[in-house]
Amino acid sequence: MSPRPAARRDHWSALGLAVLALGYLLVGRRYPLDTLATPGPGIFPLAAGLALLALAVWLLVSAARSAPDPSGGGGRPRAPLIMAAVLVLYAAALPVLGFLLTSFALVIVAARLMGLDDWWRAAALALGVTAASRLLFGTWLGVPLP
Amino acid sequence: MSDLFVALTPANLLACFAGVVLGTIVGVLPGLGPAGAMALVLPLTIKLGPTAGLIMLAGIYYGSMYGGSTTSILVNVPGEAASVVTTIDGYRLARKGRAGAALAIAAIASFVAGTFSVVALQLAAPFVARLALAFGPAEYFAFALLGVTLLANLTGGTRAKSLAMVVTGIMLSTVGMDPLGGTVRFTFDVAGAQAGLSFIAVTAGLFGVAEVLATIAAPADFAPVAHVAFRALYPSREELRRSVAPMLRGTVLGFLVGLVPGPAATIASFVSYGVEKRVSRYRHEIGTGAIEGVAGPEAANNAAAGGGMIPLLALGLPFTPSTAVLLSGMLLMSVTPGPFLLRDHPQVFWGVIGSFYIGNVMLLLLNLPLVGIFARVATIPPRYLMPGVLVLCAVAAYSDNNNPFDVWVMVAAGIVGYAMRGLGYDPAPLVLGLVLGPVLERSLLQALTIGRGDLRELWSSAPAAIMLVATAVVLLAPAGRAGLRRWTRGRAS
Repeated sequence: MSPRPAARRDHWSALGLAVLALGYLLVGRRYPLDTLATPGPGIFPLAAGLALLALAVWLLVSAARSAPDPSGGGGRPRAPLIMAAVLVLYAAALPVLGFLLTSFALVIVAARLMGLDDWWRAAALALGVTAASRLLFGTWLGVPLP
Repeated sequence: MSDLFVALTPANLLACFAGVVLGTIVGVLPGLGPAGAMALVLPLTIKLGPTAGLIMLAGIYYGSMYGGSTTSILVNVPGEAASVVTTIDGYRLARKGRAGAALAIAAIASFVAGTFSVVALQLAAPFVARLALAFGPAEYFAFALLGVTLLANLTGGTRAKSLAMVVTGIMLSTVGMDPLGGTVRFTFDVAGAQAGLSFIAVTAGLFGVAEVLATIAAPADFAPVAHVAFRALYPSREELRRSVAPMLRGTVLGFLVGLVPGPAATIASFVSYGVEKRVSRYRHEIGTGAIEGVAGPEAANNAAAGGGMIPLLALGLPFTPSTAVLLSGMLLMSVTPGPFLLRDHPQVFWGVIGSFYIGNVMLLLLNLPLVGIFARVATIPPRYLMPGVLVLCAVAAYSDNNNPFDVWVMVAAGIVGYAMRGLGYDPAPLVLGLVLGPVLERSLLQALTIGRGDLRELWSSAPAAIMLVATAVVLLAPAGRAGLRRWTRGRAS
């Protein structure tokens, strides 16, 4: 029998939350708890981490009991992955190359991934968006841009 | 009270106009939502100053409630969650050739409810603020805890997932300096993280970037929009008559639901629809294209938007993502909402309330003649709009603290937000956990210090005890109900 997709997704997401909670609790050990009368900076994170761990266990148990999900996956799974990678590159390049160049490239890639097949149109859109943002925020409103 | 007229200065009128137009467009466009849009224009509003800036942000908030109905009725695509229920009867009315009447009734219902909620807000907010002066750390802790617990019960998805998102948001709020001692926590020696995770960067990522990724994954198809002539906007005398009672019921119901933490506008619209299906004289027609199915929910979601402002303005506690962005905007403009807002910034308080009146009139005047134009905005292909949203997200995230680290936060929040959608996790509880986390931590630690470590300090006053009991009931009631059902079934078999 094939595994149920919804239950499997819930199972893995609950495991992810449990790992997050454990990691958070582990790092949180650095901060002193002190006493209840003079609570230290570690006491609230300890409570929050334990709460998330308990909820992750609850989700794991629920996932084991859950009914199969009739909805299929669908969509284009690769395109958002490419966009996510481009966004990471954007965040890395922004302080180095500046707002105009990086945003221009970002808009072109995003428009192409969304189905704008014409390179010239994508470039024109990128130029318009970048120039308008620079003028509105950078020049007119004086918002500092990288 | 004379500060109400502050809203009439040219700069504030312009800010109000820009806000409601932008809000209507956001409401019309499926996806982004008011909280995301408000986060994106924060850099602009900060430059306008506190009164005009907050008037514009508030305009986007209630303008989106108006706009959301337009595409629900004309193309069966709700612009935002609070308008989902309007598609049921609104779209069927459009197919019967009564699109104009449905749009007009939606606009009138929104106007009536919006105006009622402003009057109620004007009367109730100062009263609640005076009451809140008696609130100490224990009461604030209990109220914030009740708020996040109720929220987790009312948002979409399973309760455990929503609660997990609230707690994750609270955990993220502990990054940076602790609110009492100033100890730097969970920054991993990243200098940009010392001030904590930027709420604007997280919101822009979770709502804006995640929406772009979702659009790339499954590009939406757009239905052609029916043309609505101006003459066809007039509802018949019969339609107007039938709308009055649902409109009034939806208004009162919506305002009361608005006071409860959670996605109040969405819940109010569904509750109103349910009430109309039970009590309306024409209940047998609801679901087949009845005007009551538009008038009630549209009044309810607008009244709820007004009601939701009371906890924010009077207590400084936001219980929806949109009011959380508004809180963030207030803090960035050095305006602290809560019991002292009226004393310290009367012009801001009354100016914003005054702008609600003007904004509602503007929205009525805009939505009736320009409805066709707004509906066409919904047909602009996302490939032309969404790339620009990415750039706006980056500007909003960076300009919050002029910190490149916040752009990383935005990107991470966007990717995580996209994954969360696929896994059935709602981002709204996480956002509110992030905002209410410091309130919870500060009030808990202060209460413990005041009580010299005695936990009974947390329920030492009647309001705090009542709210903690209510929290326990909200948390345990579903388990109790399930247990009772199992027991009853066991007895029967």
